[in-house]
Amino acid sequence: MSVDFTLDLRGESCPYPVIYTLETLRDMKKGQTLQVISDCPSAFRNVPEEVVKHGYTMAQEPVKNGQEFSLFIQA
Amino acid sequence: MSKVKNLYSTWFGNYWSPYLVMVMAGILSAVYFGITHTVWAVTGEFTRLGGHLLEFVGMDVSGWAYFDLVHMNGTTWTRTDGWIVWGMFIGALITILLSGNFKIRMPRQKRRYVQGFAGGIIAGFGARLALGCNLAAFFTGVPQFSLHAWIFIVATGAGTFLGAKLVNTRWWKGKPVLKKGGSLQSVKQGKNRQPIFGAVLGLAYLALIVCFYATGRTMLGTAALFGAAFGILIERGQICFTSAFRDLWISGRATMTKAITLGMAVSSVVTLVIILVYGLEPITKITAPSTLIGGLLFGLGIVMAGGCETGMMYRLMEGQVVFLPVFIGNIVGATALAYAWDHMGVYNLLVKSGSPVNLITAMGPAAALMVTLLVLGVGFAVAAYWQKNYRFGVGFKKGDATHVR
Repeated sequence: MSVDFTLDLRGESCPYPVIYTLETLRDMKKGQTLQVISDCPSAFRNVPEEVVKHGYTMAQEPVKNGQEFSLFIQA
Repeated sequence: MSKVKNLYSTWFGNYWSPYLVMVMAGILSAVYFGITHTVWAVTGEFTRLGGHLLEFVGMDVSGWAYFDLVHMNGTTWTRTDGWIVWGMFIGALITILLSGNFKIRMPRQKRRYVQGFAGGIIAGFGARLALGCNLAAFFTGVPQFSLHAWIFIVATGAGTFLGAKLVNTRWWKGKPVLKKGGSLQSVKQGKNRQPIFGAVLGLAYLALIVCFYATGRTMLGTAALFGAAFGILIERGQICFTSAFRDLWISGRATMTKAITLGMAVSSVVTLVIILVYGLEPITKITAPSTLIGGLLFGLGIVMAGGCETGMMYRLMEGQVVFLPVFIGNIVGATALAYAWDHMGVYNLLVKSGSPVNLITAMGPAAALMVTLLVLGVGFAVAAYWQKNYRFGVGFKKGDATHVR
């Protein structure tokens, strides 16, 4: 899978992961893939939920790496 | 062995359902009231901590009316309210370590520290002005059928609306780093030792609780036990009272709103049963203009800070450094209110005209429960509709926020 953009949000807490992710996706072209790296525990749940609700798709399962994780989202 | 591992990862590898967690917290807080005749609350103790700090630097606070109101007897280690707070910190830390999720997390945007401190002060001041935060004036206030809780909730909702507008401005939120292409994360090697520390801490804390009971300090033991249970629950459920309001205004997420509403409904039923069976007096706080203004400030402050006095606790234990200035801000704000209470006429201006109103005394237990459940039910339905139809950037307007469909 090729990733078009990466948003490194490590250290950011709620609500900024959701806001940044939705803003970035809004400016991307349909079909492009965004990788979001975060270590905010709440974001592991609320970012995928909000992304799907707003009509985007999760391109693959989240990848966990210790206390950090990557989400892959298709615009 | 693998069965044990599976069980472990079910409990600590994943977060728990917020609905289940809030129902359990609702039941536990009602039982805690039945045993100790006090409610699950935290900011009263923050105010006392502020008072002790002032005493420590040599100030005489014995004449401050607010400290009389919240009773400064003993130290934080000899008060049930103290052990609720420390129990929550320790309980949350235990499960964070058991799930190996502790990490020092520093925000890249340095402005977050200032925002957190400012928000913490406003939230601490507002919560104490209303005589309680999202717990005593909200999650444990509604089940006590105290009218002030409902006014506080509505005011908090309005405050979070202002807060959401503020944090969505460009100068407040800042810009994230967006890079082209993918990014491979270096996979961390080595075993995570955090669960061992978590287990040791858990056992040590258990020994302390047993010691409280063994030496006849039953109430302290109960507070320490319930405090830890509350800390574990809110951490495992990632319960966020700030999110319950703020996310409605931002992206329309209502998961927390619904979970907390459900928890309050369950807690109301159990609390009423306990009140009637044991003949207890419900804890009723003053309903006054201060409730409204306090709620408004509290709502604004928690969104600025990114967490309320409760959510801040487990986030700080997770290693989210930004919540340290929030915690300090909470204590500063609460102490400032304690000063302004009589020294600057806040009590005479905003509180004196009010009186405690309880729904049970006003309309009888059956009607009080019916009305409470009805309003909570309507709230739940509105939240569900909101979640389905509200979108980031456009709100309820038809058409899409996304260019995609």
